[in-house]
Amino acid sequence: MNQTTSSFRKRVMQQPWDLWWIQALRLTRIEVKRNLFSWRASWIYFLAFIPTLIILIHVAVGRRLQLSMDDDTEILAGIIQFYYIRLGIFFGCLGIFSRLIRGEMIERSLHFYFLSPVRREVILLAKFAAGSISALLLFGSAILADFILTYTVFGATGHDYIFNGPGLGQLEAYLMITVLACLGYGAVFLLLSLIFKNPTPAAMIVMGWEAINPIAPSLLQKISVASYLRHLMPVNVPAEGIFALLTVQTEAESVWTATLGLLVLIVLVLVYSCYRIRTFEIRYTTE
Amino acid sequence: MSVHKNTYRAYTGPVTPLWMRVFVLARYGFAEAWSSKITITLFTLSLLPVIVFLVGIYLANNPIAQSLILKNSHRMLTVDASFFLGALQMQSWIALVLTAWITPRLISFDLADNALPILLSHPISRFGYLFGKFIAIFGSLSVVTWVPCLLLFVYQCYASTQPWAAANLSIAAGMFVGAIIWIGFLSILGLALSSWVKWRVVATAVIFGAVFVPAGVGAIVNAVLRTQWGLLLNIPVTMSVLWQRLLGAPEFLRRGSSLPTTAIVAVLVLACLLCLAMLNARIRAREVVRG
Repeated sequence: MNQTTSSFRKRVMQQPWDLWWIQALRLTRIEVKRNLFSWRASWIYFLAFIPTLIILIHVAVGRRLQLSMDDDTEILAGIIQFYYIRLGIFFGCLGIFSRLIRGEMIERSLHFYFLSPVRREVILLAKFAAGSISALLLFGSAILADFILTYTVFGATGHDYIFNGPGLGQLEAYLMITVLACLGYGAVFLLLSLIFKNPTPAAMIVMGWEAINPIAPSLLQKISVASYLRHLMPVNVPAEGIFALLTVQTEAESVWTATLGLLVLIVLVLVYSCYRIRTFEIRYTTE
Repeated sequence: MSVHKNTYRAYTGPVTPLWMRVFVLARYGFAEAWSSKITITLFTLSLLPVIVFLVGIYLANNPIAQSLILKNSHRMLTVDASFFLGALQMQSWIALVLTAWITPRLISFDLADNALPILLSHPISRFGYLFGKFIAIFGSLSVVTWVPCLLLFVYQCYASTQPWAAANLSIAAGMFVGAIIWIGFLSILGLALSSWVKWRVVATAVIFGAVFVPAGVGAIVNAVLRTQWGLLLNIPVTMSVLWQRLLGAPEFLRRGSSLPTTAIVAVLVLACLLCLAMLNARIRAREVVRG
Protein backbone atom coordinates (compact mmCIF):
# COMPACT_ATOMS: atom_id res chain seq x y z
CA MET A 1 0.00 0.00 0.00
CA ASN A 2 2.80 2.37 1.04
CA GLN A 3 4.75 1.43 -2.07
CA THR A 4 1.75 2.23 -4.29
CA THR A 5 1.24 5.58 -2.57
CA SER A 6 4.88 6.52 -2.88
CA SER A 7 5.02 5.51 -6.54
CA PHE A 8 1.87 7.56 -7.20
CA ARG A 9 3.39 10.54 -5.38
CA LYS A 10 6.60 10.14 -7.35
CA ARG A 11 4.63 10.05 -10.60
CA VAL A 12 2.70 13.16 -9.66
CA MET A 13 5.88 15.03 -8.74
CA GLN A 14 7.47 14.06 -12.06
CA GLN A 15 4.79 15.87 -14.04
CA PRO A 16 5.85 19.21 -15.63
CA TRP A 17 3.79 21.36 -13.24
CA ASP A 18 5.93 24.46 -13.84
CA LEU A 19 5.37 24.27 -17.57
CA TRP A 20 1.61 23.71 -17.14
CA TRP A 21 1.42 26.63 -14.74
CA ILE A 22 3.15 29.00 -17.20
CA GLN A 23 0.96 27.78 -20.07
CA ALA A 24 -2.18 28.21 -17.99
CA LEU A 25 -1.14 31.71 -16.93
CA ARG A 26 -0.50 32.82 -20.52
CA LEU A 27 -3.80 31.36 -21.74
CA THR A 28 -5.70 32.90 -18.85
CA ARG A 29 -4.20 36.34 -19.55
CA ILE A 30 -5.23 36.17 -23.22
CA GLU A 31 -8.77 35.04 -22.37
CA VAL A 32 -9.29 37.63 -19.63
CA LYS A 33 -8.33 40.40 -22.07
CA ARG A 34 -10.80 39.02 -24.63
CA ASN A 35 -13.56 38.70 -22.05
CA LEU A 36 -13.20 42.10 -20.44
CA PHE A 37 -11.84 44.48 -23.04
CA SER A 38 -13.74 43.62 -26.21
CA TRP A 39 -16.76 45.42 -27.65
CA ARG A 40 -18.67 42.13 -27.57
CA ALA A 41 -18.42 42.03 -23.78
CA SER A 42 -20.27 45.33 -23.34
CA TRP A 43 -23.61 43.62 -22.71
CA ILE A 44 -22.15 41.84 -19.67
CA TYR A 45 -21.20 45.25 -18.25
CA PHE A 46 -24.84 46.24 -18.78
CA LEU A 47 -26.08 43.09 -16.97
CA ALA A 48 -23.71 43.70 -14.06
CA PHE A 49 -24.06 47.44 -13.60
CA ILE A 50 -27.71 48.20 -14.44
CA PRO A 51 -28.78 47.78 -10.76
CA THR A 52 -25.88 50.09 -9.79
CA LEU A 53 -27.22 52.72 -12.16
CA ILE A 54 -30.72 52.41 -10.68
CA ILE A 55 -29.35 52.67 -7.13
CA LEU A 56 -27.33 55.72 -8.23
CA ILE A 57 -30.57 57.37 -9.39
CA HIS A 58 -32.06 56.39 -6.03
CA VAL A 59 -29.14 58.07 -4.24
CA ALA A 60 -29.64 61.19 -6.36
CA VAL A 61 -33.35 61.47 -5.53
CA GLY A 62 -33.12 59.69 -2.15
CA ARG A 63 -33.15 62.86 -0.10
CA ARG A 64 -36.69 63.54 -1.21
CA LEU A 65 -37.95 60.08 -0.19
CA GLN A 66 -38.68 58.79 3.28
CA LEU A 67 -36.06 56.05 3.45
CA SER A 68 -35.65 53.29 5.97
CA MET A 69 -32.41 51.39 6.28
CA ASP A 70 -34.20 48.13 7.01
CA ASP A 71 -36.19 48.47 3.78
CA ASP A 72 -33.08 49.25 1.74
CA THR A 73 -31.16 46.35 3.31
CA GLU A 74 -33.99 44.03 2.32
CA ILE A 75 -34.13 45.51 -1.19
CA LEU A 76 -30.37 45.01 -1.64
CA ALA A 77 -30.70 41.40 -0.51
CA GLY A 78 -33.60 40.99 -2.97
CA ILE A 79 -31.52 42.44 -5.82
CA ILE A 80 -28.73 39.96 -5.12
CA GLN A 81 -30.99 36.96 -4.53
CA PHE A 82 -33.43 37.53 -7.37
CA TYR A 83 -31.64 39.64 -9.96
CA TYR A 84 -27.96 38.74 -9.74
CA ILE A 85 -28.22 35.04 -8.94
CA ARG A 86 -31.28 34.23 -11.06
CA LEU A 87 -30.71 36.55 -14.04
CA GLY A 88 -27.56 38.70 -14.08
CA ILE A 89 -24.89 36.15 -13.14
CA PHE A 90 -26.87 33.37 -14.85
CA PHE A 91 -27.00 35.04 -18.27
CA GLY A 92 -23.57 36.66 -17.81
CA CYS A 93 -21.91 33.31 -17.10
CA LEU A 94 -23.89 31.73 -19.94
CA GLY A 95 -22.37 34.29 -22.31
CA ILE A 96 -18.83 34.18 -20.91
CA PHE A 97 -18.41 30.44 -20.40
CA SER A 98 -20.29 29.25 -23.51
CA ARG A 99 -18.00 31.41 -25.62
CA LEU A 100 -14.83 29.84 -24.21
CA ILE A 101 -15.14 26.60 -26.18
CA ARG A 102 -18.26 26.89 -28.37
CA GLY A 103 -17.37 30.44 -29.41
CA GLU A 104 -13.95 29.23 -30.58
CA MET A 105 -15.73 26.48 -32.54
CA ILE A 106 -17.96 29.03 -34.27
CA GLU A 107 -15.02 31.32 -35.00
CA ARG A 108 -13.15 28.27 -36.28
CA SER A 109 -10.13 28.97 -34.12
CA LEU A 110 -10.23 26.15 -31.58
CA HIS A 111 -7.83 24.00 -33.60
CA PHE A 112 -5.06 26.57 -33.03
CA TYR A 113 -5.24 25.77 -29.32
CA PHE A 114 -5.51 22.03 -29.89
CA LEU A 115 -2.55 21.98 -32.29
CA SER A 116 -0.30 23.77 -29.81
CA PRO A 117 1.80 21.59 -27.47
CA VAL A 118 -0.48 22.18 -24.48
CA ARG A 119 -2.51 19.53 -22.70
CA ARG A 120 -6.21 19.91 -23.36
CA GLU A 121 -6.97 19.83 -19.64
CA VAL A 122 -4.63 22.81 -19.16
CA ILE A 123 -6.46 24.70 -21.94
CA LEU A 124 -9.85 23.94 -20.40
CA LEU A 125 -8.87 24.85 -16.84
CA ALA A 126 -7.11 28.02 -18.00
CA LYS A 127 -10.19 29.06 -19.93
CA PHE A 128 -12.35 28.30 -16.91
CA ALA A 129 -10.04 30.38 -14.69
CA ALA A 130 -10.18 33.26 -17.20
CA GLY A 131 -13.99 33.11 -17.39
CA SER A 132 -14.22 33.01 -13.59
CA ILE A 133 -11.86 35.98 -13.16
CA SER A 134 -13.83 38.03 -15.71
CA ALA A 135 -17.21 37.19 -14.16
CA LEU A 136 -15.93 37.80 -10.64
CA LEU A 137 -14.36 41.15 -11.50
CA LEU A 138 -17.55 42.36 -13.19
CA PHE A 139 -20.21 41.07 -10.83
CA GLY A 140 -18.10 41.42 -7.68
CA SER A 141 -17.35 45.07 -8.36
CA ALA A 142 -21.00 45.68 -9.30
CA ILE A 143 -22.22 44.21 -5.99
CA LEU A 144 -19.59 46.18 -4.07
CA ALA A 145 -20.75 49.38 -5.79
CA ASP A 146 -24.41 48.51 -5.07
CA PHE A 147 -23.61 47.97 -1.41
CA ILE A 148 -21.67 51.21 -1.00
CA LEU A 149 -24.27 53.27 -2.86
CA THR A 150 -27.16 51.77 -0.88
CA TYR A 151 -25.72 52.93 2.46
CA THR A 152 -24.15 56.19 1.20
CA VAL A 153 -27.56 57.85 1.19
CA PHE A 154 -27.88 57.32 4.99
CA GLY A 155 -24.68 59.27 5.79
CA ALA A 156 -23.25 58.67 9.28
CA THR A 157 -25.91 56.07 10.14
CA GLY A 158 -24.99 54.10 7.03
CA HIS A 159 -21.28 54.34 7.90
CA ASP A 160 -22.04 53.11 11.40
CA TYR A 161 -24.15 50.23 10.02
CA ILE A 162 -21.29 49.10 7.78
CA PHE A 163 -18.34 49.42 10.15
CA ASN A 164 -19.91 48.94 13.58
CA GLY A 165 -22.97 46.90 12.65
CA PRO A 166 -23.71 43.83 10.52
CA GLY A 167 -22.87 45.64 7.23
CA LEU A 168 -19.37 44.26 6.61
CA GLY A 169 -20.49 40.71 7.42
CA GLN A 170 -23.34 41.04 4.90
CA LEU A 171 -20.97 42.40 2.25
CA GLU A 172 -18.62 39.48 2.86
CA ALA A 173 -21.53 37.04 2.46
CA TYR A 174 -22.73 38.72 -0.75
CA LEU A 175 -19.24 38.58 -2.25
CA MET A 176 -18.91 34.94 -1.21
CA ILE A 177 -22.25 34.18 -2.90
CA THR A 178 -21.07 35.98 -6.05
CA VAL A 179 -17.85 33.96 -6.16
CA LEU A 180 -19.69 30.67 -5.73
CA ALA A 181 -22.42 31.62 -8.21
CA CYS A 182 -19.87 32.57 -10.88
CA LEU A 183 -17.85 29.38 -10.33
CA GLY A 184 -20.94 27.16 -10.12
CA TYR A 185 -22.79 28.48 -13.17
CA GLY A 186 -19.47 28.80 -15.01
CA ALA A 187 -18.60 25.14 -14.53
CA VAL A 188 -22.10 24.05 -15.58
CA PHE A 189 -22.16 26.21 -18.73
CA LEU A 190 -18.64 25.22 -19.71
CA LEU A 191 -19.70 21.58 -19.57
CA LEU A 192 -22.92 22.29 -21.50
CA SER A 193 -20.91 24.04 -24.24
CA LEU A 194 -18.74 20.95 -24.51
CA ILE A 195 -21.73 18.63 -24.80
CA PHE A 196 -24.17 20.61 -26.98
CA LYS A 197 -23.72 22.49 -30.23
CA ASN A 198 -26.24 25.04 -28.96
CA PRO A 199 -26.00 25.14 -25.14
CA THR A 200 -28.80 27.71 -24.73
CA PRO A 201 -31.80 25.31 -24.69
CA ALA A 202 -29.97 23.23 -22.09
CA ALA A 203 -29.20 26.41 -20.13
CA MET A 204 -32.89 27.31 -20.18
CA ILE A 205 -33.65 23.85 -18.81
CA VAL A 206 -31.07 24.54 -16.07
CA MET A 207 -32.89 27.84 -15.37
CA GLY A 208 -36.20 25.99 -15.11
CA TRP A 209 -34.54 23.33 -12.95
CA GLU A 210 -33.16 25.99 -10.59
CA ALA A 211 -36.67 27.45 -10.29
CA ILE A 212 -38.49 24.18 -9.58
CA ASN A 213 -35.63 22.54 -7.67
CA PRO A 214 -37.04 23.12 -4.16
CA ILE A 215 -40.03 20.88 -4.85
CA ALA A 216 -37.68 18.07 -5.90
CA PRO A 217 -36.54 15.36 -3.42
CA SER A 218 -33.67 16.42 -1.15
CA LEU A 219 -31.14 14.30 -3.05
CA LEU A 220 -31.97 16.06 -6.34
CA GLN A 221 -31.70 19.45 -4.62
CA LYS A 222 -27.98 18.77 -4.23
CA ILE A 223 -27.47 19.22 -7.98
CA SER A 224 -28.53 22.84 -8.11
CA VAL A 225 -26.37 25.95 -7.74
CA ALA A 226 -29.08 28.31 -6.44
CA SER A 227 -30.21 25.91 -3.72
CA TYR A 228 -26.74 26.06 -2.09
CA LEU A 229 -26.55 29.84 -2.46
CA ARG A 230 -29.92 30.40 -0.78
CA HIS A 231 -28.52 29.10 2.50
CA LEU A 232 -25.68 31.62 2.40
CA MET A 233 -27.90 34.72 2.14
CA PRO A 234 -27.32 36.94 5.20
CA VAL A 235 -30.75 38.61 4.92
CA ASN A 236 -33.89 36.60 4.35
CA VAL A 237 -36.14 38.20 1.76
CA PRO A 238 -39.84 37.33 2.00
CA ALA A 239 -41.18 36.52 -1.46
CA GLU A 240 -44.19 38.36 -2.77
CA GLY A 241 -45.75 39.05 -6.15
CA ILE A 242 -43.69 37.99 -9.13
CA PHE A 243 -40.73 37.12 -6.91
CA ALA A 244 -42.84 34.41 -5.28
CA LEU A 245 -42.63 32.44 -8.52
CA LEU A 246 -38.85 32.32 -8.21
CA THR A 247 -38.64 31.86 -4.47
CA VAL A 248 -38.39 28.63 -2.59
CA GLN A 249 -38.39 27.47 1.02
CA THR A 250 -36.07 24.63 2.02
CA GLU A 251 -34.63 23.32 5.24
CA ALA A 252 -31.73 25.37 6.56
CA GLU A 253 -28.17 24.17 5.98
CA SER A 254 -25.00 25.41 7.63
CA VAL A 255 -22.78 27.83 5.70
CA TRP A 256 -19.95 25.30 5.59
CA THR A 257 -22.17 22.51 4.28
CA ALA A 258 -23.61 24.76 1.56
CA THR A 259 -20.17 26.08 0.52
CA LEU A 260 -18.51 22.68 0.53
CA GLY A 261 -21.48 21.12 -1.28
CA LEU A 262 -21.25 23.67 -4.08
CA LEU A 263 -17.46 23.37 -4.29
CA VAL A 264 -17.76 19.58 -4.60
CA LEU A 265 -20.36 20.08 -7.37
CA ILE A 266 -18.00 22.47 -9.21
CA VAL A 267 -15.03 20.07 -8.90
CA LEU A 268 -17.13 17.15 -10.16
CA VAL A 269 -18.35 19.13 -13.18
CA LEU A 270 -14.80 20.30 -13.97
CA VAL A 271 -13.37 16.79 -13.68
CA TYR A 272 -16.03 15.50 -16.07
CA SER A 273 -15.33 18.44 -18.44
CA CYS A 274 -11.60 17.53 -18.43
CA TYR A 275 -12.56 13.97 -19.28
CA ARG A 276 -14.86 15.17 -22.12
CA ILE A 277 -12.30 17.51 -23.66
CA ARG A 278 -9.79 14.67 -24.06
CA THR A 279 -12.07 13.09 -26.67
CA PHE A 280 -13.52 16.37 -28.00
CA GLU A 281 -13.68 16.47 -31.80
CA ILE A 282 -13.71 19.59 -33.95
CA ARG A 283 -16.25 19.52 -36.77
CA TYR A 284 -16.49 23.02 -38.12
CA THR A 285 -18.75 21.99 -41.00
CA THR A 286 -21.63 21.17 -38.66
CA GLU A 287 -21.48 24.51 -36.81
CA MET B 1 -18.87 28.00 -80.60
CA SER B 2 -16.60 30.32 -78.72
CA VAL B 3 -17.92 32.00 -75.64
CA HIS B 4 -17.49 35.59 -76.84
CA LYS B 5 -20.03 35.00 -79.62
CA ASN B 6 -22.85 34.54 -77.04
CA THR B 7 -24.96 37.64 -76.68
CA TYR B 8 -26.51 37.98 -73.27
CA ARG B 9 -29.96 39.48 -73.02
CA ALA B 10 -32.53 40.04 -70.32
CA TYR B 11 -34.88 37.23 -69.30
CA THR B 12 -38.14 37.60 -71.18
CA GLY B 13 -40.17 34.76 -69.69
CA PRO B 14 -43.00 35.05 -67.15
CA VAL B 15 -42.02 36.97 -64.02
CA THR B 16 -43.39 36.36 -60.51
CA PRO B 17 -45.66 39.28 -59.57
CA LEU B 18 -44.05 41.76 -57.19
CA TRP B 19 -46.42 41.02 -54.28
CA MET B 20 -45.85 37.27 -54.65
CA ARG B 21 -42.06 37.45 -54.30
CA VAL B 22 -42.09 37.72 -50.53
CA PHE B 23 -43.95 34.42 -50.37
CA VAL B 24 -40.97 32.72 -52.02
CA LEU B 25 -38.84 33.81 -49.08
CA ALA B 26 -41.62 32.88 -46.68
CA ARG B 27 -41.85 29.40 -48.22
CA TYR B 28 -38.10 28.83 -47.88
CA GLY B 29 -38.27 30.28 -44.37
CA PHE B 30 -40.96 27.77 -43.42
CA ALA B 31 -38.91 24.95 -44.90
CA GLU B 32 -35.82 26.07 -42.94
CA ALA B 33 -37.76 26.47 -39.70
CA TRP B 34 -39.51 23.12 -39.88
CA SER B 35 -36.53 21.16 -41.20
CA SER B 36 -35.19 20.84 -37.66
CA LYS B 37 -36.23 17.87 -35.54
CA ILE B 38 -36.20 20.11 -32.48
CA THR B 39 -38.86 22.36 -34.06
CA ILE B 40 -41.06 19.31 -34.60
CA THR B 41 -40.42 18.18 -31.02
CA LEU B 42 -41.28 21.63 -29.65
CA PHE B 43 -44.44 21.72 -31.75
CA THR B 44 -45.46 18.28 -30.47
CA LEU B 45 -44.79 19.37 -26.87
CA SER B 46 -46.84 22.51 -27.47
CA LEU B 47 -49.87 20.32 -28.14
CA LEU B 48 -49.69 18.60 -24.74
CA PRO B 49 -51.19 21.53 -22.78
CA VAL B 50 -53.90 21.81 -25.44
CA ILE B 51 -54.84 18.18 -24.78
CA VAL B 52 -55.00 18.91 -21.03
CA PHE B 53 -57.27 21.92 -21.65
CA LEU B 54 -59.37 19.83 -24.04
CA VAL B 55 -59.89 17.22 -21.31
CA GLY B 56 -60.77 20.06 -18.94
CA ILE B 57 -63.50 21.30 -21.31
CA TYR B 58 -64.81 17.75 -21.70
CA LEU B 59 -64.97 17.28 -17.93
CA ALA B 60 -66.59 20.67 -17.35
CA ASN B 61 -69.38 19.84 -19.77
CA ASN B 62 -69.92 16.25 -18.74
CA PRO B 63 -71.42 15.94 -15.23
CA ILE B 64 -71.14 12.13 -15.22
CA ALA B 65 -67.42 12.15 -16.10
CA GLN B 66 -66.89 15.00 -13.64
CA SER B 67 -68.52 13.05 -10.80
CA LEU B 68 -66.50 9.95 -11.65
CA ILE B 69 -63.11 11.65 -11.89
CA LEU B 70 -63.45 14.54 -9.42
CA LYS B 71 -65.22 12.43 -6.78
CA ASN B 72 -64.22 14.19 -3.58
CA SER B 73 -63.52 17.59 -5.04
CA HIS B 74 -65.93 20.34 -4.09
CA ARG B 75 -64.46 22.66 -6.67
CA MET B 76 -66.52 22.92 -9.85
CA LEU B 77 -64.60 22.97 -13.10
CA THR B 78 -65.81 26.00 -15.05
CA VAL B 79 -64.86 27.09 -18.53
CA ASP B 80 -64.74 30.88 -18.51
CA ALA B 81 -62.44 33.78 -19.42
CA SER B 82 -59.89 32.71 -16.76
CA PHE B 83 -59.77 29.20 -18.22
CA PHE B 84 -59.02 30.51 -21.72
CA LEU B 85 -56.56 33.06 -20.28
CA GLY B 86 -54.63 30.13 -18.81
CA ALA B 87 -54.63 28.36 -22.17
CA LEU B 88 -53.48 31.51 -23.99
CA GLN B 89 -50.69 32.18 -21.46
CA MET B 90 -49.42 28.61 -21.66
CA GLN B 91 -49.38 28.59 -25.46
CA SER B 92 -47.80 32.03 -25.59
CA TRP B 93 -44.82 31.00 -23.44
CA ILE B 94 -44.34 27.97 -25.63
CA ALA B 95 -44.34 30.40 -28.57
CA LEU B 96 -41.44 32.25 -26.91
CA VAL B 97 -39.41 29.03 -26.79
CA LEU B 98 -40.26 28.33 -30.43
CA THR B 99 -39.26 31.90 -31.41
CA ALA B 100 -35.89 31.54 -29.68
CA TRP B 101 -35.28 28.36 -31.63
CA ILE B 102 -36.69 29.26 -35.07
CA THR B 103 -35.88 32.96 -35.62
CA PRO B 104 -32.08 32.66 -35.46
CA ARG B 105 -32.32 29.87 -38.06
CA LEU B 106 -34.17 32.22 -40.40
CA ILE B 107 -31.84 35.18 -40.31
CA SER B 108 -28.50 34.40 -38.60
CA PHE B 109 -27.41 31.98 -41.32
CA ASP B 110 -27.93 34.63 -44.02
CA LEU B 111 -25.87 37.13 -42.05
CA ALA B 112 -23.15 34.72 -40.93
CA ASP B 113 -22.62 33.47 -44.49
CA ASN B 114 -22.72 37.02 -45.95
CA ALA B 115 -25.67 35.94 -48.10
CA LEU B 116 -27.60 39.21 -47.85
CA PRO B 117 -25.85 40.92 -50.82
CA ILE B 118 -26.76 37.93 -53.02
CA LEU B 119 -30.35 37.76 -51.76
CA LEU B 120 -30.93 41.49 -52.09
CA SER B 121 -29.41 41.56 -55.58
CA HIS B 122 -32.55 39.68 -56.65
CA PRO B 123 -35.62 41.79 -57.48
CA ILE B 124 -36.73 41.98 -53.86
CA SER B 125 -36.53 44.90 -51.46
CA ARG B 126 -35.15 44.92 -47.90
CA PHE B 127 -38.74 45.27 -46.69
CA GLY B 128 -39.77 42.31 -48.88
CA TYR B 129 -36.94 40.21 -47.44
CA LEU B 130 -37.93 41.01 -43.87
CA PHE B 131 -41.63 40.61 -44.58
CA GLY B 132 -41.00 37.15 -46.04
CA LYS B 133 -39.10 36.12 -42.89
CA PHE B 134 -41.81 37.71 -40.75
CA ILE B 135 -44.51 35.67 -42.49
CA ALA B 136 -42.51 32.48 -41.90
CA ILE B 137 -42.09 33.07 -38.15
CA PHE B 138 -45.57 34.56 -37.69
CA GLY B 139 -47.17 31.58 -39.44
CA SER B 140 -45.13 29.10 -37.39
CA LEU B 141 -46.12 30.80 -34.14
CA SER B 142 -49.78 30.99 -35.17
CA VAL B 143 -49.87 27.19 -35.24
CA VAL B 144 -49.09 27.04 -31.52
CA THR B 145 -51.01 30.10 -30.26
CA TRP B 146 -54.29 31.40 -31.62
CA VAL B 147 -55.11 28.36 -33.77
CA PRO B 148 -55.22 25.84 -30.87
CA CYS B 149 -56.82 28.43 -28.57
CA LEU B 150 -59.64 29.08 -31.02
CA LEU B 151 -60.03 25.33 -31.57
CA LEU B 152 -60.51 24.97 -27.81
CA PHE B 153 -63.14 27.72 -27.98
CA VAL B 154 -64.92 25.96 -30.84
CA TYR B 155 -64.86 22.68 -28.89
CA GLN B 156 -66.37 24.42 -25.86
CA CYS B 157 -69.11 25.86 -28.09
CA TYR B 158 -69.81 22.35 -29.36
CA ALA B 159 -69.60 20.58 -26.00
CA SER B 160 -71.61 23.07 -23.94
CA THR B 161 -75.14 21.94 -23.17
CA GLN B 162 -76.25 25.57 -22.79
CA PRO B 163 -76.16 28.20 -25.56
CA TRP B 164 -72.63 29.49 -24.91
CA ALA B 165 -70.95 30.83 -28.02
CA ALA B 166 -72.91 34.04 -28.60
CA ALA B 167 -72.54 35.23 -25.03
CA ASN B 168 -68.78 34.57 -24.99
CA LEU B 169 -67.62 35.69 -28.42
CA SER B 170 -65.58 38.44 -26.75
CA ILE B 171 -63.34 35.71 -25.25
CA ALA B 172 -62.57 34.35 -28.72
CA ALA B 173 -61.94 37.84 -30.08
CA GLY B 174 -59.72 38.66 -27.06
CA MET B 175 -57.72 35.47 -27.49
CA PHE B 176 -57.25 36.12 -31.19
CA VAL B 177 -56.18 39.76 -30.76
CA GLY B 178 -53.99 38.96 -27.72
CA ALA B 179 -52.22 36.14 -29.54
CA ILE B 180 -51.72 38.24 -32.69
CA ILE B 181 -50.18 41.08 -30.66
CA TRP B 182 -47.87 38.66 -28.85
CA ILE B 183 -46.68 36.71 -31.87
CA GLY B 184 -46.28 39.92 -33.89
CA PHE B 185 -44.11 41.35 -31.10
CA LEU B 186 -42.14 38.11 -30.73
CA SER B 187 -41.54 37.90 -34.49
CA ILE B 188 -40.19 41.44 -34.74
CA LEU B 189 -38.12 41.06 -31.55
CA GLY B 190 -36.70 37.72 -32.70
CA LEU B 191 -35.80 39.03 -36.16
CA ALA B 192 -34.17 42.20 -34.75
CA LEU B 193 -32.09 40.38 -32.16
CA SER B 194 -31.09 37.62 -34.57
CA SER B 195 -29.99 40.22 -37.11
CA TRP B 196 -27.62 41.79 -34.58
CA VAL B 197 -26.15 38.56 -33.29
CA LYS B 198 -24.30 36.64 -35.94
CA TRP B 199 -24.13 33.39 -34.00
CA ARG B 200 -27.28 31.31 -33.75
CA VAL B 201 -26.17 29.94 -30.37
CA VAL B 202 -25.94 33.43 -28.91
CA ALA B 203 -29.10 34.66 -30.63
CA THR B 204 -31.17 31.97 -28.88
CA ALA B 205 -29.86 33.09 -25.47
CA VAL B 206 -30.28 36.78 -26.31
CA ILE B 207 -33.99 36.30 -27.17
CA PHE B 208 -34.63 34.69 -23.78
CA GLY B 209 -32.49 37.31 -22.06
CA ALA B 210 -34.37 40.16 -23.78
CA VAL B 211 -37.60 38.93 -22.20
CA PHE B 212 -36.40 37.93 -18.72
CA VAL B 213 -33.60 40.40 -17.90
CA PRO B 214 -35.75 43.57 -18.35
CA ALA B 215 -38.30 41.89 -16.07
CA GLY B 216 -35.63 41.70 -13.35
CA VAL B 217 -34.51 45.27 -14.05
CA GLY B 218 -38.15 46.41 -13.81
CA ALA B 219 -38.49 44.70 -10.43
CA ILE B 220 -35.35 46.54 -9.21
CA VAL B 221 -36.73 49.87 -10.48
CA ASN B 222 -39.98 49.19 -8.60
CA ALA B 223 -38.25 48.24 -5.38
CA VAL B 224 -35.47 50.85 -5.34
CA LEU B 225 -37.35 53.86 -6.71
CA ARG B 226 -40.63 52.97 -4.93
CA THR B 227 -42.71 53.10 -8.09
CA GLN B 228 -44.91 50.75 -10.11
CA TRP B 229 -43.76 51.86 -13.58
CA GLY B 230 -40.92 49.35 -13.56
CA LEU B 231 -43.58 46.72 -14.28
CA LEU B 232 -43.73 48.12 -17.82
CA LEU B 233 -40.29 46.56 -18.42
CA ASN B 234 -41.66 43.20 -17.31
CA ILE B 235 -42.94 41.74 -20.59
CA PRO B 236 -44.45 38.60 -18.98
CA VAL B 237 -46.51 40.74 -16.58
CA THR B 238 -47.53 43.45 -19.07
CA MET B 239 -48.65 40.85 -21.60
CA SER B 240 -50.58 38.93 -18.95
CA VAL B 241 -52.37 42.15 -17.91
CA LEU B 242 -53.17 42.94 -21.55
CA TRP B 243 -54.52 39.43 -22.22
CA GLN B 244 -56.54 39.50 -19.02
CA ARG B 245 -58.19 42.77 -20.09
CA LEU B 246 -58.78 41.58 -23.64
CA LEU B 247 -60.50 38.42 -22.39
CA GLY B 248 -62.34 40.15 -19.56
CA ALA B 249 -60.79 37.90 -16.88
CA PRO B 250 -60.44 39.06 -13.23
CA GLU B 251 -57.48 41.34 -12.36
CA PHE B 252 -54.50 39.50 -10.85
CA LEU B 253 -52.34 42.52 -10.00
CA ARG B 254 -53.01 44.35 -6.74
CA ARG B 255 -55.17 47.44 -7.11
CA GLY B 256 -52.28 49.80 -6.30
CA SER B 257 -49.94 48.31 -8.90
CA SER B 258 -52.36 48.23 -11.83
CA LEU B 259 -51.00 49.39 -15.17
CA PRO B 260 -52.94 51.55 -17.67
CA THR B 261 -53.61 49.79 -20.97
CA THR B 262 -52.36 52.79 -22.96
CA ALA B 263 -48.99 52.59 -21.17
CA ILE B 264 -48.70 48.87 -21.99
CA VAL B 265 -49.55 49.49 -25.65
CA ALA B 266 -47.11 52.43 -25.78
CA VAL B 267 -44.28 50.25 -24.42
CA LEU B 268 -45.03 47.52 -26.97
CA VAL B 269 -45.13 50.04 -29.82
CA LEU B 270 -41.85 51.61 -28.64
CA ALA B 271 -40.21 48.19 -28.40
CA CYS B 272 -41.40 47.35 -31.94
CA LEU B 273 -40.10 50.68 -33.28
CA LEU B 274 -36.73 50.04 -31.64
CA CYS B 275 -36.64 46.57 -33.24
CA LEU B 276 -37.50 48.07 -36.65
CA ALA B 277 -34.67 50.60 -36.25
CA MET B 278 -32.30 47.74 -35.40
CA LEU B 279 -33.45 45.82 -38.48
CA ASN B 280 -33.10 48.90 -40.67
CA ALA B 281 -29.52 49.36 -39.50
CA ARG B 282 -28.55 45.74 -39.93
CA ILE B 283 -30.40 44.36 -42.95
CA ARG B 284 -28.33 45.88 -45.75
CA ALA B 285 -26.68 44.49 -48.86
CA ARG B 286 -23.14 44.69 -47.55
CA GLU B 287 -20.45 42.21 -46.77
CA VAL B 288 -18.18 42.49 -43.76
CA VAL B 289 -14.64 41.31 -44.43
CA ARG B 290 -12.27 41.23 -41.46
CA GLY B 291 -8.58 40.62 -41.44
